[in-house]
Amino acid sequence: MEHQCHWNEVANIFLPREATIVQAVQATPTEKHFTLKMSDGQPMEFEPGQIVELGLLGYGEIPIGFASSPTRTESFDLVVRSVGRVSGAVCKLEEGDTVNVRGPLGHGFDLDKLRGRDVLVVAGGIGLCPTRSLIQYILDRRDEFERFVLFYGSREPCLQLFGDDLACWRGMQEMEYHETVDNADPSWTGNVGVITTLFPKVQLSPETRAVICGPPIFYRFVIRELDAIGIPRENVFVDLERRMKCGVGKCGHCQINDKYVCVDGPVFSFADVQDLEEAF
Amino acid sequence: MSKPKVAFFDFACCEGCQIEMTNYGAEPFLELLKHVEIVEFREAMTETTTEPIDIALIEGSFTREADRARLMEIRKRAKIVIAYGQCATTGGINALKNHQTDYKQFVYGTDSDLPHLDSKKAYGVDHVIKVDYYAYGCPVNKYEVLQILLHLLHGKEPVIPNYPVCVECKRRETVCRFDEGDYCMGMVARAGCGAPCPAAGIPCEACRGFVDDPNLAAFEKVLVERAGFTPQRAAEKGRMFTANALEAS
Amino acid sequence: MTTSFIRSDDFAAFLTAMMEAVPVYGPVAKRSRFVFERLEAPDELRLDYDVTILPPKKLFFPPAQDLLRFDEAGVEAALEPTEKVLLGVHFYDVKAIDQTDLLFSERNYDVNYMGHRETTTIVASNIQNVSGRAFFASVGTDVQPEGHDAFLTAIEGGYVFETRTERGEALLGYGAFQPATDAQIDEAARVNAAALEQCPEKLEHGTEEIATKVRAAFGDDELWNELAADCFSCGTCNTVCPTCYCFDVQDTWNVDQSGQRTRFWDGCLTEDFAKCSLGDGGSENFREQRGQRFRHRIMRKATYLNEKLGGPACVGCGRCSAGCTADIADPVRVINRIMAS
Repeated sequence: MEHQCHWNEVANIFLPREATIVQAVQATPTEKHFTLKMSDGQPMEFEPGQIVELGLLGYGEIPIGFASSPTRTESFDLVVRSVGRVSGAVCKLEEGDTVNVRGPLGHGFDLDKLRGRDVLVVAGGIGLCPTRSLIQYILDRRDEFERFVLFYGSREPCLQLFGDDLACWRGMQEMEYHETVDNADPSWTGNVGVITTLFPKVQLSPETRAVICGPPIFYRFVIRELDAIGIPRENVFVDLERRMKCGVGKCGHCQINDKYVCVDGPVFSFADVQDLEEAF
Repeated sequence: MSKPKVAFFDFACCEGCQIEMTNYGAEPFLELLKHVEIVEFREAMTETTTEPIDIALIEGSFTREADRARLMEIRKRAKIVIAYGQCATTGGINALKNHQTDYKQFVYGTDSDLPHLDSKKAYGVDHVIKVDYYAYGCPVNKYEVLQILLHLLHGKEPVIPNYPVCVECKRRETVCRFDEGDYCMGMVARAGCGAPCPAAGIPCEACRGFVDDPNLAAFEKVLVERAGFTPQRAAEKGRMFTANALEAS
Repeated sequence: MTTSFIRSDDFAAFLTAMMEAVPVYGPVAKRSRFVFERLEAPDELRLDYDVTILPPKKLFFPPAQDLLRFDEAGVEAALEPTEKVLLGVHFYDVKAIDQTDLLFSERNYDVNYMGHRETTTIVASNIQNVSGRAFFASVGTDVQPEGHDAFLTAIEGGYVFETRTERGEALLGYGAFQPATDAQIDEAARVNAAALEQCPEKLEHGTEEIATKVRAAFGDDELWNELAADCFSCGTCNTVCPTCYCFDVQDTWNVDQSGQRTRFWDGCLTEDFAKCSLGDGGSENFREQRGQRFRHRIMRKATYLNEKLGGPACVGCGRCSAGCTADIADPVRVINRIMAS
């Protein structure tokens, strides 16, 4: 094989760009909601469901799904849960601080398969972050989609993310929003129970396109509900989480059988991953 | 912002790890002093302190009941405690005595009744106090201690390997001890040292202790089948630096 | 391209001239084994080596490679490749290099590998001695080695030097080469064919058949747990593998507050490879059991990448078999056992 010497003409995929934090809000005790702008003023162009490697020099990088829609070009949102070296350091940052980003990376929601269809989004816990990108997108281009239903489940009311959004969605005509918590507190007047308890509340067509993002245990139960409705599995899209490290399909850490979550996903059609023994 | 105060303390040990801390060479050490203030360091300075400390590095095992109060006192005034060196992290070579009874006579002879030699089983200092971070090795890898300090100065959790020494031997293309008819403990030993011993033609003795989940059954089997150990010697081989871990397993 | 001959007596002068012009790497002895190292003198070169401890991937993908360097002023890429010649690569290692070339350049082109790769001229050489665990003659037999610039075969009285690229052709200028005779070319072909007859181990089935049956054995937990019972999770099978290329990335600081982002070879057999932090000391390990990790490696070598690579992600060098202290890593034994079941 002849090698064309062009290594010095190609951008280094590990060289990050700088972004500035324009807003930082402590969303829950462990999660912080950042609004960012690229420091060079360029827009971040991405698709809902894609990820970015968020980094701090000296600390490392973590893969994070975009939590805002690319239709909102002014800035982009990332929600970081403080669980490790990088996320812990990032969560100490405030407005005006800078971070490094590489991306967008990976394969997001296939919008062409959702357009012109009924869309159901089922989000659990922090799974609302990457799906919020899609939710905002649908709301911003509402006429491109048919019926839009959102189910959101949290462990407890105080762990709900995006409180302002939820307040807005609850009364919204453009979408049918249903929420539940596993454990209520005295302030909670809504549904109590696991995510599947929301399904009896709406009548869904088997033609619906469904999007799922939540903790590992979540998928099995939600899929069972979707099967019962008769939604074919190729019309179900899952947003998966693994130990993504490099974000560019090289380092091997995020493999599910033969798939690399960071480049083949993180969004997959359920039909493509249902037979992967390591997926669920 | 004032520089973090760092102090070195020693318990039952040879203080070799403390000596290792003086071996960085002038340039890196002086550079480090731009970022930390060393307030107690028996092998290198006369001053001691009773003030609060940001980072206490503790060397040596807990083996005398009389040391309990001093350990607790250090813990009380230290924001971060690092156990460094194998004596402090797992009991180290001192724990060899934990399965012997007559060691005092052998080691100290007629002096064995002196009160400061009144010791019991040897443990890492976490037998008595909470330890935040561990720097393994006999002696410690001074560059790893430096890296731990640099991480902590930046508010980042240090990265301590949980893979065996084989990883580091292979990375530097060391000829395996077993291929030369020798034994080795590298397969169950925690890496992070850079595997200097096998590279110099001597076996790894697991001076940094075991990885989190050592396959000890396979280890004994390999020692018997490939290095010609008797089953008993194979079972006891792990004791040199890991007596407490073997006892617990 | 051309086929030349150089006499044994002229070979050292060829090496010397080349080494004066460009760094030359080749197999040299290290205690009882061999390693690829930069040649300091022509007589260090051991073309009679059986197999090296590490494959030549270390020249393109070093065990620890700085990706970025940073200080208060900013961040920059650390890559600084230099032109070099890599001499004496056996064909199975060339096949492995072909794989890593593809994997590092597809989808997201990685200059940190490709920069070193593209500045290297590779001269393959015939296998004079076959290592005790080799099975290169029975694995991926449909796949031909591609990524070399010339091929050197030791024959009676000298070497046949077949160039494959312009870069290989350029090396002719360093030595007293003459056109090879038909007899010399025939002899080289016989020598290379003979090496294939000497593998001590052999896969009993073809690539497709193996891929299907091994993949179907995924769910046999009992099998994988048994195969991995003596596994130390040391990752030696990964580290010495010419087609393994997983890595970890860590940032470190220097005392002067500058620092680097470095990638280190990692291996899917090590305990923490697929472990994610969940906070508060909690974690999720997606391959927690030894058997799961052992299985993942065999799946990757025998099935997962076959479509992309056009063959298995194994070239039969036998390094994993020889390097495994517990002697459980041998793909031939594992695969033949699954095929026989």
